[in-house]
Amino acid sequence: MASGVSGYAAISTRVRAMYSDLLTPQDITRLSDSPDFQSLAGALKSTPYGKYISGLKDTELTPRRVILQIRQRLADSYSSVVQQAPEQTRPLIKQMYRYFEVGNLKAVLRSIQTVSSWNSDVPAWERVREVLFPFGSFASIPAQAMVDSGNIASAVDLLKGTPYEATMSFAMKRFSTEQNLFPLEVALDLDYWRGLWGEIKNLSGRDREMGAKLVGSLLDLNNLMWVIRYKIYHKLSEEELINYTLPFGYRVKDEDVRAIAAGSDIAAVVSRIYPNITDVNMLLEHPQSGLPKLEHHLKQQVMRQCISAFIGYPFHIGLPLAYLILSDFEVQDLVVLIEAKSSKLKDEEFHPLLLKTNMIQ
Amino acid sequence: MLFPKEMSEVELIVPSKDLVAVAKVLSGRGVFHQVDSSYLGLESLGPSTWQEKAGSLSAMERRVQAIMQSLSLPEEYPVKAEVGSMVDLDALRPSVDRIDDEVKGVSDQLSAENKRLELLESQLRQIEPIADVKVEVGALRKSSFMHSILGVIPSANISRLKTSLLRVPHVFFTLREDPQKPVVWILGSKSNSDVLERAAKSAYLNPLSLPEEFSGTPEQITELLKKEIEVSKKKIAELGANLVGLASTYKNDLQNMLWDVHISRVMADAIVRFGQLRHTYVVVGWVPTSELETLTTRLKEASREILIETMATSRSGHHTQVPVALSTNKWLKPIQMLVGTYGHPSYGELDPTLLMAFTFPLLYGAMFGDLGQGFVLLVLGILMHNRIFMGGMQSLGLLIAYCGASAAFFGYLYGSIFGFEGHLIEEYLHFHFEPTWISPMENILSILSIAIDAGIVILMFSFLLGMLNNIRSRDWAHLLFGHTGIAAFIFYICFLAMLGGFLGDTALAPKVAVAINSLPLPFTTLLAVFGIIVMFGGFFRNMVEGHTLIEGKGIGGFLMFLIQSLMDLIETVISMLSNTLSFIRVGAFAVAHGGLSLAIFSLAGHEPDFGFWVTIVIGNIFIIGFEGLIVGIQTMRLHYYEILGKFFHGGGMHFEPLKLSPSKEEA
Repeated sequence: MASGVSGYAAISTRVRAMYSDLLTPQDITRLSDSPDFQSLAGALKSTPYGKYISGLKDTELTPRRVILQIRQRLADSYSSVVQQAPEQTRPLIKQMYRYFEVGNLKAVLRSIQTVSSWNSDVPAWERVREVLFPFGSFASIPAQAMVDSGNIASAVDLLKGTPYEATMSFAMKRFSTEQNLFPLEVALDLDYWRGLWGEIKNLSGRDREMGAKLVGSLLDLNNLMWVIRYKIYHKLSEEELINYTLPFGYRVKDEDVRAIAAGSDIAAVVSRIYPNITDVNMLLEHPQSGLPKLEHHLKQQVMRQCISAFIGYPFHIGLPLAYLILSDFEVQDLVVLIEAKSSKLKDEEFHPLLLKTNMIQ
Repeated sequence: MLFPKEMSEVELIVPSKDLVAVAKVLSGRGVFHQVDSSYLGLESLGPSTWQEKAGSLSAMERRVQAIMQSLSLPEEYPVKAEVGSMVDLDALRPSVDRIDDEVKGVSDQLSAENKRLELLESQLRQIEPIADVKVEVGALRKSSFMHSILGVIPSANISRLKTSLLRVPHVFFTLREDPQKPVVWILGSKSNSDVLERAAKSAYLNPLSLPEEFSGTPEQITELLKKEIEVSKKKIAELGANLVGLASTYKNDLQNMLWDVHISRVMADAIVRFGQLRHTYVVVGWVPTSELETLTTRLKEASREILIETMATSRSGHHTQVPVALSTNKWLKPIQMLVGTYGHPSYGELDPTLLMAFTFPLLYGAMFGDLGQGFVLLVLGILMHNRIFMGGMQSLGLLIAYCGASAAFFGYLYGSIFGFEGHLIEEYLHFHFEPTWISPMENILSILSIAIDAGIVILMFSFLLGMLNNIRSRDWAHLLFGHTGIAAFIFYICFLAMLGGFLGDTALAPKVAVAINSLPLPFTTLLAVFGIIVMFGGFFRNMVEGHTLIEGKGIGGFLMFLIQSLMDLIETVISMLSNTLSFIRVGAFAVAHGGLSLAIFSLAGHEPDFGFWVTIVIGNIFIIGFEGLIVGIQTMRLHYYEILGKFFHGGGMHFEPLKLSPSKEEA
């Protein structure tokens, strides 16, 4: 216990302070009441995101730029937590942070694949950099050089010495025959989550228990959505579904994934794992609109796990992890708001997509 | 020290002919924070040629760096690097081309040979696991009834691949165990070939590409491959030696080129952000006022016709665009680190470092008052600071030393030394040591009351600092009606008077609150009046700032406003009460310290034998490590939650001056 208290004393104080700075459901509702994007950006200035946005000139106040600045706060949260986390848990936090680099890597690869269809007046990198997560000094991929390289093979060559080298070298064999980014992206995802789970297994005691609970819940969400989507949209075979998913998680077990892969009723499996999600059958009847809603329900399950981590004994990795996951969800909510307001969507079109406001219903 | 350095905005009009000289001065001094002023230029002039030049210089810098990398030369600048004029790329290019061609010729050959070696070794690795199989390699592919897949697979995917084939009859061999690239062989019936292929493909199994130019058994192919590898290695060694020779020949030339191109690129990057007029350039930026005179003199030396306009920026008013340079002091570094974790001060805002340098050790010492243990912390802190002991925590050394000194001082006041207090000191240590102020264990209620009093004083001081910040930023709305404004402050005073009146006769009553209550003022009326002002603070702030008074329309909007205002008031009262009572922990920890020491003594027994002293030593180590840490957290918590939040907002922009070479820290 002493090691837990000594290791987590400073970080749990800091995280609790940062946790109190997260937006409340009421804040999100207030922001969503903004009539347009400009008012939303103005309203954001009076939130903890204000200091990230107030530096922007009026001409820079575009949705993309504001989203980038908002993500900067999440990046700062990660840096702060990584620096203060006990030594033995840092690899886990760093691996978790790498999620955004994996996202960046996918965005870079997609941009290389589609760059030929872009307006040639604007340099490709200028367009790509705006959508990348501001990873800062933690970045290990040479994103600009990859975009400038102009083709996937040369770009992947530039990943030598990065944590993605081995995974990509295997997946590139398939890319070169199929000319499709799907195998590369799946390989990156599987490698990322395996790495994350591996870091949890390296922990012990309460850290391991909380890590498995929180990260496992996130993994459940992804694993379940992968197998459902691959089955419904990509019509993959049983053996492919098994190879493209993972055999571990918190509530979703390997048997569940294999059951779906083997052709069991998806709704029955999901309802057995999450009995409190009541309308699974209805959601799966119209997958186009139903699957995002199912994902939304699953995200709320994760949020509940995160919020419960703040109750009870505080000296473990659960608090920092929960805070980081909640921060990420908050940023996702804000991105939904910004996109919705800049596209002038009606309230009823984007409100159901907000995670926080729907938590209080 | 109390405020960030005063900054001056500098606007320069530079004649085109002196552009480079001025850029050199601005980049060379490390005191000029540039602001992008390219938008001030004339658009009719078209794109700046400097943009192109900066691009070319950047490309050239990368090229020189690439050559140095090929030669395994570290990217270092010459020992006696001087800031010369802008490099002439046309003059430099032939030399770079010549070296590049020479290096590239050798390095291309080397990389081709390396690739060949890699391929040969990979082929060898692929064939090694089946080296003792006495069959022709080609026969594996020619079976009529069996489907065979031989390949390399990511080790993490093996178990998943096996799972995916559970329902298909097959045989699975791992021919070579390898943490990275194990070789596996799957054998199944021809009728299941499509399932086997799909499973293998989705598990990222890469079939082995056995060299078709080699024929025979695996053993024979292995022999041939080994010979080829030897030849290839010899060639690589020769080419490597050639590169080493080139590196020693061109090292100085490349370092000089890199430095010249680097400083030119930095200056060109700065110039790109100047506003270009017809015959002049506009430069805008920020300089610490203390450095202004020296910079101005240097600029005038560089250009006689330069026009310099400087505007000292007062620290009052809102200045979100002013970069914030903080005074650095090595003795306050750990405190600055604590403040930095909370936020970077904005311009004009009070830098709480100095205040925290006083309050942090003070509160820590009050909670952990022990002469002996404090002295141990002091020594430990000094050792850590000087990297003699636990060097990894050097950055915290001074903070621990300050807290130790304060704890020792309070230990002197409390009459506590290594947990020995009162008669225990005479009994076991054989000297007389009385508390010079108060013994927390014997005056529990008094020490708790004093702690609340100290908290009240600190909170009132924080309120005043918050108001000072509001005055300096001319934020009149928050000064009058903000959560730490005048109305809230008076409400807090009235609240304390009520608290004083309520607890007046008890030993726990804070003296400051009782004293306020004794003042001949109508506190009940004032509490009601200022309560209403605090309740409708948002309304009044909107009024002063000229915003919409009540957000939301109609009766629903008004009702919501009333409910929100009432909640604001309740929240304010609760936070005032909790903030004030929060400081009770200072007294509580002083008492707990004595209690913990008593627990150690009861474990140690009464006889001062060897076991007794061992228990006392271990107990003291435990107290220093465990309680010392918890007290540290509590001190930090008091600062972050109760004190800094009252007046410190942070969010300032970091001062990032132009520099030609990275500082030692950055390097």
